[in-house]
Amino acid sequence: MSVAATDSKTSYLLDKLQSLSGVIPIGAFLAEHFWSNSYALVSVGKYNDVSRELQQIPWRIFVETCVLFIPILFHGLYGIYIWWTGKSNAIGHPWMANWLYVLQRWTGIIAFVFIGWHLYTERFLGHGVTSYADVQRSLLNPWYLTFYIVGITCASFHLGNGLWNFACKWGIAVSVPAQRAAGWFGAAVAVAFTFIGVAIVLALHYGAFPMGSYVQ
Amino acid sequence: MADKTFIVKIKRQQRPDEAVRWEEYELRYRPHMNVIICLRDIAEKPFTRSGSESTPVSYEANCLEEICGACAMIVNGKPRQACTALVDDLEKPIRLEPLTKFPLIRDLQVDRSSMFENLKRTKCWIPIDGTYDLGPGPRMSPETQEVGYALSQCITCGNCLEICPKVNEHSNFVGAAIVSQVRLFNMHPTGAMHAGPRLEALMGPGGIEDCDNAQNCVKVCPKGIPLTESLAAVNGQVLVHAVKSFFRGS
Amino acid sequence: MRQPKIIIVGGGLAGLMAAIKVAEAGVTADLFSIVPVKRSHSVCAQGGINAAKNLKGEGDSTWKHFDDTIYGGDFLANQPLVKGMCEAAPAIIDLLDRMGVMFNRTPEGLLDFRRFGGTLYHRTAFAGATTGQQLLYALDEQVRRFEAEDKVKKFEGWTFLSAVLDHAGVCRGICAMDLKTMEIKTFACDAAIFCTGGIGAVFGRSTNSVVCTGSAQSALFQQGAYYANGEFIQVHPTAIPGEDKLRLMSESARGEGGRVWVPKTPQDPRPARQIPETERFYFLEEWYPKYGNLVPRDVATRAIHKVVYEMKLGLAGDPAVYLDVTHIPREVLERKLEGILEIYQKFVGVDPHVEPMKVFPAMHYTMGGLWVDNENQATNIPGVYAAGECEYQYHGANRLGANSLVSCIYGGGIAGTAAVRYARSLESGCENTSPAVYERERVRQQDISDALLNQHTGTENPLAIWREMGDVMTENVTVIRYNAAMQKTMAKLDELSERFKRINLQDRTQWSNQTLNFVRELGNMLILAQVITLGAIARNETRGAHYKPEFPDRDDRNWLKTTIASWDAGKIKLDYEAVDISLLPLRERKYTAAK
Ligand SMILES: Cc1cc2nc3c(=O)[nH]c(=O)nc-3n(C[C@H](O)[C@H](O)[C@H](O)COP(=O)(O)OP(=O)(O)OC[C@H]3O[C@@H](n4cnc5c(N)ncnc54)[C@H](O)[C@@H]3O)c2cc1C
Ligand code: HEM
Ligand code: SF4
Ligand code: FES
Repeated sequence: MSVAATDSKTSYLLDKLQSLSGVIPIGAFLAEHFWSNSYALVSVGKYNDVSRELQQIPWRIFVETCVLFIPILFHGLYGIYIWWTGKSNAIGHPWMANWLYVLQRWTGIIAFVFIGWHLYTERFLGHGVTSYADVQRSLLNPWYLTFYIVGITCASFHLGNGLWNFACKWGIAVSVPAQRAAGWFGAAVAVAFTFIGVAIVLALHYGAFPMGSYVQ
Repeated sequence: MADKTFIVKIKRQQRPDEAVRWEEYELRYRPHMNVIICLRDIAEKPFTRSGSESTPVSYEANCLEEICGACAMIVNGKPRQACTALVDDLEKPIRLEPLTKFPLIRDLQVDRSSMFENLKRTKCWIPIDGTYDLGPGPRMSPETQEVGYALSQCITCGNCLEICPKVNEHSNFVGAAIVSQVRLFNMHPTGAMHAGPRLEALMGPGGIEDCDNAQNCVKVCPKGIPLTESLAAVNGQVLVHAVKSFFRGS
Repeated sequence: MRQPKIIIVGGGLAGLMAAIKVAEAGVTADLFSIVPVKRSHSVCAQGGINAAKNLKGEGDSTWKHFDDTIYGGDFLANQPLVKGMCEAAPAIIDLLDRMGVMFNRTPEGLLDFRRFGGTLYHRTAFAGATTGQQLLYALDEQVRRFEAEDKVKKFEGWTFLSAVLDHAGVCRGICAMDLKTMEIKTFACDAAIFCTGGIGAVFGRSTNSVVCTGSAQSALFQQGAYYANGEFIQVHPTAIPGEDKLRLMSESARGEGGRVWVPKTPQDPRPARQIPETERFYFLEEWYPKYGNLVPRDVATRAIHKVVYEMKLGLAGDPAVYLDVTHIPREVLERKLEGILEIYQKFVGVDPHVEPMKVFPAMHYTMGGLWVDNENQATNIPGVYAAGECEYQYHGANRLGANSLVSCIYGGGIAGTAAVRYARSLESGCENTSPAVYERERVRQQDISDALLNQHTGTENPLAIWREMGDVMTENVTVIRYNAAMQKTMAKLDELSERFKRINLQDRTQWSNQTLNFVRELGNMLILAQVITLGAIARNETRGAHYKPEFPDRDDRNWLKTTIASWDAGKIKLDYEAVDISLLPLRERKYTAAK
């Protein structure tokens, strides 16, 4: 019945890897990605420098495959399988954590689609070379902009809520107060990431450099 | 003066392979009625609201004081114990349905033997050497006792499974109750010596990894058992056990 | 060597302990129970379990526990086995402790003990407010472990109908019904142990669970088993009346200053709060100025009964009196009585901090039960053993609080061991019993079910008959017993038995037909009710829980004897047996002074 029901240890390992992959490397990459793209708030030059730096790392395709493509594909596809093994009842029982359970799934799939499309347009169409101007050009399209904002919000929410899940599911936050604290931490991450991500795309959209004063 | 009455709607099914039907009963209101009294009223006069003759409703109940766990059913959409479901507190018409996550036997009666089976699979007991006199058990601090006592009150009602999104035909998650029992036995000084096999039993499909933290269980547990804490705690224990046994051999 | 076969009927504390002993002896046990054993009535016990561990430096001893038990039971219990129980109790507590029962602890990590009624010592071990549940679970877990090792096989959702007796009257198996498929089958065994618990349902509503009907005991009785001391029924003074159940309200409510009263005007329609102090009748305080509301259980019970049934001063519409804690400061209530007041709130939906609670005495426990011998828990039918509340051995005329759990475990253990010994000693086991013996019993039982299912002209409702039986039993055969009233009760029981023959089953399906099972139990209950009533009529004295105003004293000359009821060609016959008082001399049982 279940794809993982091969033997007991495998299914445990796969589940744990799915959970871990959300934090490391995907969550960590998201943080890095927002960090490097934040240079768009500083200046075109800085942004292009950092982009070029990243686009010219050694073993690039190998690193991208191992750290990005495979984990995201695995996390996403296995996540869809996990989704299928559950049967939400949040409408009849609208408790907060029950809604978060549902949202975790929907934001995950939206993020997955968004990431796929984002990779396709920015990574593959451009053959791995993109500059400030390229990105800005896409973001001038209001539909693109909207999709970016939705995608970023979903990914940020998914990461924040995922960190709360992670803390509970790895036995890090056991007591109710600790779980509540982890929840607040996750919420803070979600808000912060959404804020930073949206700030980046809006800055690109408007060609604004709110942190431009850092550049002498 | 006409008696005050109210309506009870019951989802009925004479056998697992027979059609489902909803029946409506009009019952005479008395103060302090609970759902069990409603079902007894129906047994005494098994005529539906429209006057057609039916049969007494099958259901399980024993203690009638929320300690045996037998009478779990879905009352107005919520899984709970029928014996503490007071008519005064319920929205009318009252809707009664059997639990859906367990094989149906008849009407409101389901077969929860899988829970007992899972307690067996997860070795939820303290393996004692024998019943002959071996002196007192291990000492235990009042604090440990307090945590253990909270866990040991589980009445195996199954409400936490009923409400869990991860218990369904696609996933045979053992449910919060069983995980919480594993925590109980793992924290007992003697039980802790045999934690490994319990944790291994929770590593497989249907084990602890199936919990996706929707945290519904804790909302419906009639005994107020800290299920989310148990799930997190056992999750940690399984992980540590898995890592240890991988690196050091078990 | 042949492997004997043992069947245990009932999976409460007694049945589970028996199963453990049988499995431990290397014999497989088939365990039958109506409800999954983990849902047995034993879960209801709240208070605790007695054992003279003397962990509080009070100089308690098992002898004192023995003395309290015999004295509390008004000297009607055979003494040797009671002594054995009290001596075994400390080790039983240790065993339960090792099994992981979450008993309350002292700061040093040792077991904590509380004081209970009928003793001066801290002798009662407890696990929160749910000791029975905790003990039952511990034994249930041990049995599950044996089940995993295939040493115990459970038949949950089966009800015992009758024993299979061979031509010599030896038990060779049981006949049982699957409550799901309604199939009736026989099961062979060399010895059967009965641990089927209490009989609350004979009194309609009680503090007992739904399955405590005494049906199994009654069935065995009708097959020749003796039933002893049936007339001794313990009534608890304060229970929360409910249409479905009478739920226990702990004595501690009165211990913390709760006052019992009724309005002076019969049927006063005003809510309690509007009745002024001067119009309230604090009958316990008035009648027993020295002890007030804290008179012993049976005195309180009788007083409440008198106020309601003789003086007709019960609360408007309800046979109940007020148990009032509204005058006690909220902080005190919250600190000391929170748990029990919550129960009231939960089931009655009324806040006892504001409204006085309505309570009434409730049938609670049967001291009487299947007759068993003085050492092996063996009934008079060879191969049939009994333990737990369904037998009569340990509590005499009145049970001491927290003594039942220990008697269940002790008796269950003895029965398990004795049954194995008996089964091993048999020259010819059940495998040599002719299949015809089993078939005859199966057909007899099937015919009873078929007759009920095929009776289409019946007009009598089973629940109505049950309620009428319960009402008349509760009114006349519990707290205060008058021979005239009990004679009328017998007439009523005869009438009900007649009406029972015209019962309308209402459900003729062959799948989980709970009505069919209930009706079969009801038939057995009607007979047990007669056994109890006849025993009570005959016993012209007052002893323990048996109180006859016409015979207000204990009469050791004529009545220091065990009632033994037997079934004699469809009639109930009463005989008597001397009580073994070899260890403790008789003395008067007085509650008013220190003993
Ligand atoms: C509210 C309450 C509080 C109490 N508190 C205390 C206390 O604090 N301390 C104390 O010592 N005692 C207490 N008692 C008494 C004590 O709980 C019982 O006497 C004791 O639990 C009885 O245990 P048992 O094993 O004999 O039977 P039970 O636990 O009643 O078990 C009977 C078993 O027999 C099975 N059975 C019955 N009939 C059949 C049949 N026909 N076929 C198959 N199976 C059948 C049932 O399914 C069940 O498994 C209390 C009782 C009540 C009602
Ligand atoms: C931006 C990309 C993503 C990030 C940062 C991310 C991050 C995370 C994190 C941190 C978790 C918590 C892990 C845990 O529960 O222990 C998680 C869980 C989950 N993710 Fe993602 N994820 C991403 C994409 C996706 C995608 C594309 C899907 C596909 C639908 C998805 C589906 C899930 C599901 C179903 C869970 C819950 C698993 C569970 O509760 O066991 N995620 N994710
Ligand atoms: S944990 Fe709570 S809800 Fe779940 S079975 Fe036990 S008592 Fe019922
Ligand atoms: S009947 Fe026991 S929990 Fe409701």
